[in-house]
Amino acid sequence: MNGNKKIRKFFFPSLTPNFLIRALLVTLFTYLFFGHVCIPFHIQGSSMEPTYHNGGFNFCWRLHYLFSKPKRNEVVAIRFTGRHVMLLKRVVALEGEWVEFRDGKLLINGKELDEPYIRYPCNWNLSPRQVEVNCVYVVGDNRNMPVENHYFGQTSIRRIMGVPLW
Amino acid sequence: MVKVRSFIIALILVGIGIWAFIHFSPSEERKVRKQFGLLSGWASKAQGETPLIMAQKTRKIGTLFAENCGLEVPLYSISGNLTRDEIIGYAARGRLLFSELSLRFYDLTVSFPEEGIAKVSSTARLTGKLNVGENVDETHELQCVLKKIGKRWFFSHMEVVEVLKR
Repeated sequence: MNGNKKIRKFFFPSLTPNFLIRALLVTLFTYLFFGHVCIPFHIQGSSMEPTYHNGGFNFCWRLHYLFSKPKRNEVVAIRFTGRHVMLLKRVVALEGEWVEFRDGKLLINGKELDEPYIRYPCNWNLSPRQVEVNCVYVVGDNRNMPVENHYFGQTSIRRIMGVPLW
Repeated sequence: MVKVRSFIIALILVGIGIWAFIHFSPSEERKVRKQFGLLSGWASKAQGETPLIMAQKTRKIGTLFAENCGLEVPLYSISGNLTRDEIIGYAARGRLLFSELSLRFYDLTVSFPEEGIAKVSSTARLTGKLNVGENVDETHELQCVLKKIGKRWFFSHMEVVEVLKR
């Protein structure tokens, strides 16, 4: 009987001012945390295979670049207009650097970049180009597709929303 | 205690009232957003769509555009000013390539730089299946300008923004 009362009280608590304030604070915290700080997202597409799989789930941690800039080899979430659709890509070159693909090998400033995360064969060719100021060059890990079908290139640092939590 | 409870209830009621006013009042912003909803609905295509529905939807797409509309879609080599009929032609030919098509807009940001002009930034996601069986999944940032003619808003300029520049 006492147990029933406890269960009922848990699911249907009396609307005291304290309860309402607590509920309001929890709602506010949840909205701010999961809406602006640690944004949940669902991975669609295979451009980051095998590091991130199609259908996977993750969180975008936005505080990562609060006091620092993106570094090479970091996986970042890039926004379009807002935060509902983002791109997940890996930073391969920083501002001022020259990027080139030669027979599938990624060259930064003319030197081959060691990329242990690449598992599939690649035969891309792309003439050298320089990364503009306040931009980074991003590419997906899955390069086992024609270069025309892979969405990559340089983007403004302002578009980087954060990093995946894992 | 009773006073506090009444105050909280009054606060909630006022909140609901404000929300209802904003939600149900036909503001200009809502009218602009509605045009995107209509475009999304009429551009999308379900499997097995009959030629009659297709013709109807394509004609309706035309009603959303101004007599002359600037289009900048570098990806598909579309650039310049197009008449309403030309846009209908593009829409019809584009839809014919797909057996299934879905166009959705996310993160719409609407601003009114001057009377009768609305600038909208949005993320457009196009998913579908081509007649040849290939799946399509493309996301682009879109900058649109809508003009108010009479009581209605018409698309007068559309531009695809390059988020990743090769």
